[in-house]
Amino acid sequence: MTSSPMPAPTAAEPAVEAAYAPADAGLQPGHLVSGVPQAAPGETMIAIDNISKWYGDFQVLTNCTTKVAKGEVVVVCGPSGSGKSTLIKCVNALEPFQKGQITVAGTKVADKGTNLPKLRSRVGMVFQHFELFPHLSITDNLTIAQRKVLGRSAEDAKKRGLDLLARVGLGAHATKFPGQLSGGQQQRVAIARALAMNPVVMLFDEPTSALDPEMVGEVLDVMVELAKEGMTMMVVTHEMGFARKVADRVIFMDRGEIVEDAKKEDFFGSPRSERAQTFLSKILQH
Amino acid sequence: MLSNFDFSVIVQSLPYLFGQGMVFTVTLTAMAAVGGVIIGTLLAMARLSGVPGLTQVAKGYVELCRSLPLVLVIFWFYFLVPYIGAYVTGSSTPIQVGAFPSALITFMAFEAAYFSEIMRAGIQSIPKGQTAAAQALGMNYWQTMGNVVLPQAFRNMLPLLLTQTIILFQDTSLVYVLSLTDFMGAASKVAQRDGRLVEMYIFAAVVYFVICFSASFLVRRLQRRVAIIR
Repeated sequence: MTSSPMPAPTAAEPAVEAAYAPADAGLQPGHLVSGVPQAAPGETMIAIDNISKWYGDFQVLTNCTTKVAKGEVVVVCGPSGSGKSTLIKCVNALEPFQKGQITVAGTKVADKGTNLPKLRSRVGMVFQHFELFPHLSITDNLTIAQRKVLGRSAEDAKKRGLDLLARVGLGAHATKFPGQLSGGQQQRVAIARALAMNPVVMLFDEPTSALDPEMVGEVLDVMVELAKEGMTMMVVTHEMGFARKVADRVIFMDRGEIVEDAKKEDFFGSPRSERAQTFLSKILQH
Repeated sequence: MLSNFDFSVIVQSLPYLFGQGMVFTVTLTAMAAVGGVIIGTLLAMARLSGVPGLTQVAKGYVELCRSLPLVLVIFWFYFLVPYIGAYVTGSSTPIQVGAFPSALITFMAFEAAYFSEIMRAGIQSIPKGQTAAAQALGMNYWQTMGNVVLPQAFRNMLPLLLTQTIILFQDTSLVYVLSLTDFMGAASKVAQRDGRLVEMYIFAAVVYFVICFSASFLVRRLQRRVAIIR
């Protein structure tokens, strides 16, 4: 009996801990972007060229022009109703526009011949209200578009999906349904779902606006990590802390126009337009 | 008073009533419901598609069906389809459709109008953001519908679809106008053969009531269970 190697209970504890990952581990080390970091700055990824859009008679976007280079992180901010969400939704043609052209990774969005589903499959998008599919498990949420749109095998899709789910710290929740997760957790799943498609660009439409304050950090952590890995990102947000930390450029919009389009340092240091100054002073007061 | 009644006629005719009549009724109901939901869903999609022409055609069809008595449509279909079929195929004599296929097609097509209204409400109940998310992931219209919108719409509308199917179950008794032997028709035939009208019609009423009432009860229980957590 004495010969059987029975480890002391204390010695077994670390192993047990490792086997049962905590339910919400937070951001895990490793790459979110597959393969090597994408940054190879310089090349234009998104070119927004003189966009105008109307809802009936009401003009929501007026002659918007800007560029996002590969690996660049651009934050779009402005008061509500300024058209920033509309602008970002024009990039993957979720919103049609009547004038101008947008080119994403060489593909013209407003061309009749453009295969929009194919274009969108390469542009990741994260929504304000997460928009996970409530009737599907987290695993299915992560894999469905990979299988149906990219034609990946079930195993490959699952491997990629679960890998990303583990990276955002939610590996223990694979079999749950979206309704069983908190807002912050759902948004991290939504980011993983978008990343699973190996996008060349990520668009974020107010990703933290619908979250309780204590959950904003966990989502921003993932986004900061993504930015560090060289992902090209266009982010509509009011999180100026995030903008200061990772943005290369800040675009300020008001009443459907791009009022200011400046390097981060210039924007926060000395915004040129009065409207941007007013906006900044208002949101940085607290 | 009841001494004049002879309920043994019911017992004697049970194999006929259920073995033939009820099997027919259930078969017709199930096939018509499945076909009706499929056609109804396509009608609802057409109506919500926003494609000029398609929307109006779907709307017109639904309005037409909802404005006509079912018996009339059953008759109309039974007597006219052979001629339309002959015209389409170029045959010189009316094609033989048969009472059952004719009834089945009629019920599918007619109920599709009602199912389409339910599915339209179901599709519209899915938030726009769900469609946007599916599209943003690169899904086309059919993939978005098939993987995201319709599964949720079906689930939300399942109680209503089943309730409509219960109504359809009762409506199938109208096939007696085509001399088909459904449960009601079987009861009617026995009643007239044996001169036991009251007994048979009471029994038929009881059977319909028990089946429909139990089914409605189960639908209500189901309703509480299928709701998706959001």
